[in-house]
Amino acid sequence: MMLSRKLTPYLYLAPMLALLTFVFGFSILRVFEFSFKMVRGIDGPWIGLRNYRLVLSQPLFWESVKHNLILLLAIPAMVAIALLLSLLLYDRLRGWKIYRTILFFPYILAIPIIAVVMKQMFQFSGPVNEVLRWLSLDFMALDWIGSTDVALWTVMMLIIWRESALGVILFLSRLLSLDESMVEAARLDGANWWQRAWHVLIPQMRGVIEFYVVISVITMLSSVFAYVYMMGGGRGGPGTSTMITELYIYNALTRTSLPGIASAVSVMLFVVSLALIYLLFVIRRRDHGDGA
Amino acid sequence: MESVWFGYLKPLNGLLSEDTLRASNPTVLSNFGGNTYRAGWYPLPMVWCYNKDLFDKAGLDADAPPKTWAELLEACDKLKTVGIEPLGGGMQDGYWAEWYMSHAFVQTLDTVGEAVELFIGDKDFNDPRYYEHWVRLEELRTLGFLNKDMPSLELYPGIDLVVAGKLGMGQSIGSRLPADSKATNGRIGSMVMPVFGKGQLAGKPIVDTQGLGIAEGSANPEAAAAFIEYLNTPERLGAFHKATGWLPSSSRFDAELIEDASVKSMWKAWGQSPNITNVTNLMPGQFYEQAAIPTGQQVVQGTLTGEQAGELAARVAQEWRDFNPDLVEKYQEWVVDLSK
Repeated sequence: MMLSRKLTPYLYLAPMLALLTFVFGFSILRVFEFSFKMVRGIDGPWIGLRNYRLVLSQPLFWESVKHNLILLLAIPAMVAIALLLSLLLYDRLRGWKIYRTILFFPYILAIPIIAVVMKQMFQFSGPVNEVLRWLSLDFMALDWIGSTDVALWTVMMLIIWRESALGVILFLSRLLSLDESMVEAARLDGANWWQRAWHVLIPQMRGVIEFYVVISVITMLSSVFAYVYMMGGGRGGPGTSTMITELYIYNALTRTSLPGIASAVSVMLFVVSLALIYLLFVIRRRDHGDGA
Repeated sequence: MESVWFGYLKPLNGLLSEDTLRASNPTVLSNFGGNTYRAGWYPLPMVWCYNKDLFDKAGLDADAPPKTWAELLEACDKLKTVGIEPLGGGMQDGYWAEWYMSHAFVQTLDTVGEAVELFIGDKDFNDPRYYEHWVRLEELRTLGFLNKDMPSLELYPGIDLVVAGKLGMGQSIGSRLPADSKATNGRIGSMVMPVFGKGQLAGKPIVDTQGLGIAEGSANPEAAAAFIEYLNTPERLGAFHKATGWLPSSSRFDAELIEDASVKSMWKAWGQSPNITNVTNLMPGQFYEQAAIPTGQQVVQGTLTGEQAGELAARVAQEWRDFNPDLVEKYQEWVVDLSK
């Protein structure tokens, strides 16, 4: 009786676990398998580590990794913007719920929608440059999506704009759950807005900030495909200036008939992502231990 | 042709009549090992388009577009002098770079098979002959003849600039001509890319085709073949034209059914005269994605010279050989069919 009561929850979970294991587990195993084969069509001969050697010796692969690492520079900006906006919303000025909705709106829209609009706006003869020229700021009217020097930074701006919205909601939720008496005490002691934020509020948000940073790192390494695909002309362009590892995998699989190569890079990306997720669990376990 | 090498398609010889297969104009790209794997369906004439009104405004002869490189530069200069952006389009999605190779790269070749020799390593992109087309593109950029928003526009909005009277010349595709001609009252002209190259393929109209094939696993290939035969009857070809406004590729199609004078003239020059196929359609996918497109984009941007584009192409061709030793063997066999 005791044993069946312990087993019951797992029995309820078992069908879904079996389905997920089959859908995801089988796929992951096949990707690992394909990474060691020269796949043509649906299978191919075993070639050992050859796919990994070819990928690791290809400049385009390392350029893709470099671009993902450059995108990590977006994270400090995202954290700073999300913190600032959430702290401002926390003051609960009149209409703050409307502002909150407006700020979160980009995150609700699908990435292809905002990317298509942004692409039109940031064309060399598009509205953004037209306004800049009208304001006699011609030196700022860059070729935002057509220049190999600028395109990746334009994609980064779009990512920051959209992904900061998630940070705003996470940080604001945490702020709204805090004990306001400490903030009130600091106000009575004469602390200004910035001092209350820096010394009272932000220290209590450490856990959620760390969570947001780790999630954002995972995003920059493995979830920016839609941004780059839409903004980069579908090819990581101009040239290869916006090529990232996800797009590298997509191209290898669908455009260059190299499923084995795509699998090898997928395995490497999977391992890195797993390491980051493990880091996230460690942080959250530590935070629960601290009572944060 | 990878679909053939991976065993996905049946040869059509013996399934379709020789007469129907030949009349469908499958192009040389449909042949491998002496067999034909694709019947032509509708053609893809690759053209340079130009706006006749803008030519008039610049004092150019709208009925005699430039035929040589020197004439092209002179025409660009005249257009630029009267404030018209001479040439270009949109390159952000990469296809303009591909089409540029279709028109320009082929000018340095004597046969279509020579292009394959560059991929399999028998010839080298570092040879100035084989990167000359990128040097010419660099020249157009340096002289300021390309539209300034070319890197940030996509292909079709770029072609729209020519139709809208904002750009003198550009690259286009024949299937656009009916609509563009109608929109401008026949003031969009078609021309072969002006010649700079000394290869035997220089100056020839380029036509490829979308085609129909029969799957290797087809349960009833004879029925599939009978259907393709039916689609190639004159009555069905006429119905295709009536329903789509475009042309079927078969020579059994009655060209007198074409009503638009611009389309009729284009088809006479491209489809009913000696032509060559689109060389970029035989490129390995890896070369297409990692060299053909990025080189053109970067030359137009000014971040690569023509010679550096050749170096990049040579490196990517070597990478393709390293990644795909099995396909190199197939391409070596294919050279024989393509060099006929």
